[in-house]
Amino acid sequence: MAPVEIRGLSKRFGNVLAVNDLSFDIDAGRVTGFLGPNGAGKSTSLRALLGLVRPTSGTATFGGRRYEELQRPSTKVGAVLEDASFHPGRTGRNHLRVLAVTGRHPPERVDVVLDTVGLTAAADRRVKGYSMGMRQRLAIASALLGDPEVLILDEPTNGLDPPGIAWMRGMLREQASRGRAVLVSSHLLAEVAQSVDDVVVISGGQMRGHGTLEQVLGGDEGPATQVRSQDDQRLARALQAAGHDVTALAAGGGLIVPGVSPQDVGVIAHDAGIYLVALGQQSRSLEQAFFALTGGESIA
Amino acid sequence: MSALLQAELLKLRTTRTFVALVAAALALSLLVVVLVSILADEFNDNDVRNLFTADFTGLFIVLLGVIGMAGEWRHRTITSTVLAAPDRIRLLAAKMLSYAAAGALLSLIVTLTIMLVGTVILSLRDKETADLADLVDVLWRNLLVAALVGALGVGIGAVVRNQVAAIIGVLFAAFVLEPTLLGLAPDYGRFGPTQGAPSGIIQVAGFDGEDTENLLAPGVAVLVMLGWIGAFFAAAAARLRGGDLV
Ligand SMILES: Nc1ncnc2c1ncn2[C@@H]1O[C@H](COP(=O)(O)OP(=O)(O)OP(=O)(O)O)[C@@H](O)[C@H]1O
Ligand SMILES: [Mg+2]
Repeated sequence: MAPVEIRGLSKRFGNVLAVNDLSFDIDAGRVTGFLGPNGAGKSTSLRALLGLVRPTSGTATFGGRRYEELQRPSTKVGAVLEDASFHPGRTGRNHLRVLAVTGRHPPERVDVVLDTVGLTAAADRRVKGYSMGMRQRLAIASALLGDPEVLILDEPTNGLDPPGIAWMRGMLREQASRGRAVLVSSHLLAEVAQSVDDVVVISGGQMRGHGTLEQVLGGDEGPATQVRSQDDQRLARALQAAGHDVTALAAGGGLIVPGVSPQDVGVIAHDAGIYLVALGQQSRSLEQAFFALTGGESIA
Repeated sequence: MSALLQAELLKLRTTRTFVALVAAALALSLLVVVLVSILADEFNDNDVRNLFTADFTGLFIVLLGVIGMAGEWRHRTITSTVLAAPDRIRLLAAKMLSYAAAGALLSLIVTLTIMLVGTVILSLRDKETADLADLVDVLWRNLLVAALVGALGVGIGAVVRNQVAAIIGVLFAAFVLEPTLLGLAPDYGRFGPTQGAPSGIIQVAGFDGEDTENLLAPGVAVLVMLGWIGAFFAAAAARLRGGDLV
């Protein structure tokens, strides 16, 4: 059983079908990017996972239980939602102390997570005086308090500076390497591409792509090979004779062979006695992939 | 449940509003008791008993309950609160119970303080003082009222959700609506949740000399208060149970 299982999840707000029949799993030990343009339904999906929004239909379960059914949920699932809010008059430390009491975590955990997010020095200041990045760090500290098996983060880099973003990526990778399942949403593929293993792409509330980063970037047929040779026309004939589709690029730009690895293209060229000038794997660019999957609704 | 209660009490303690309102409750109660016990001349033992019902904890704990619960929406902390305790109905119950406990504890402190100060002043002036049985009688009534209105405040806050509207509503009911009703139509006024029924529990009429005949009997008044609390709990639970928290 996957740590998180989403089955047929839908949510309607009046006329808006914000989430439409989503089904996917999130695996332990991996960071899953949950991608989609603005208004795609990412936040609504994540809130439905957490039982904050009541799904119109479908379920989301953690180890087979809905969030509301979890015993001590903070030990199972940690969440950082969009625009994390705190009581402005309470200190960061007190906010965490309340959560530690609710979740029956030892008080020392408060100091540990404050240190993890680099907020120890500001811990005894009122949240009112925190910067956006500090609030975001406090939200992350809250999510880590119970050392949960699953981490769910909605656009967690909002408000973080570049070192903060780098720290965040490292933290997510480290959690995955400890066997945690991490789900992190973003409307920018490029932003998460460096730190995710799997991606789920949604747009208009519907799933548009799902798989490893390589699979999704490669499109349906997987990665393509780009090749240039001494004689592209002969090479094209040889490849076609071997049963592959070939697209010629404009004026000496070489050939694109979708769904075939560079090694296989090299072997065919060698057998046909054709010298290669250039040979390499062509991935769709992040933007191309994202555009194609989301129907070009928004620029990544 | 006990973890939730503890967490709510910790939340309550760690804001300045709490410190300010507790100080205000103590100061106001002391002010009234000190002034009356210094200035009053014709004093019988029933007056002394009534004097010690001047525990203003109830007013402040009902406001704290409203502020604490509606504040979850105002500060948009309701999502993180519900994430930590996903059973919304249990959460509501825990919040009501913790404010009831806080109300009783504060009332204990305030009532014991005013009893001590009032008794010292009156005995220095060689006036009548209340006997122990009377003091104990007033004490538990004050405690009970504070506990009940603490839970009531949480219920009101959870139903109304808008903090300012809820505070204004409670103040209006306590200082305009219910006193007016008690004066003009006591048959209805005595059932009110902020003045009518609490006065029935304490068995004291206002300082303007009305008698207690119009009030509900204490036992009935407690039941009426529980009815109000139950009604607000049910309405709040219905709103919470099905709703999206966004
Ligand atoms: N409480 C609500 N009431 C009505 N419509 C809503 C509500 N919340 C979300 N929506 C609608 O649902 C759709 C999805 O919104 P959602 O916030 O989930 O998108 P998102 O992918 O998180 O976008 P962003 O990248 O901007 O955060 C939008 O059309 C939005 O207007
Ligand atoms: Mg969003």
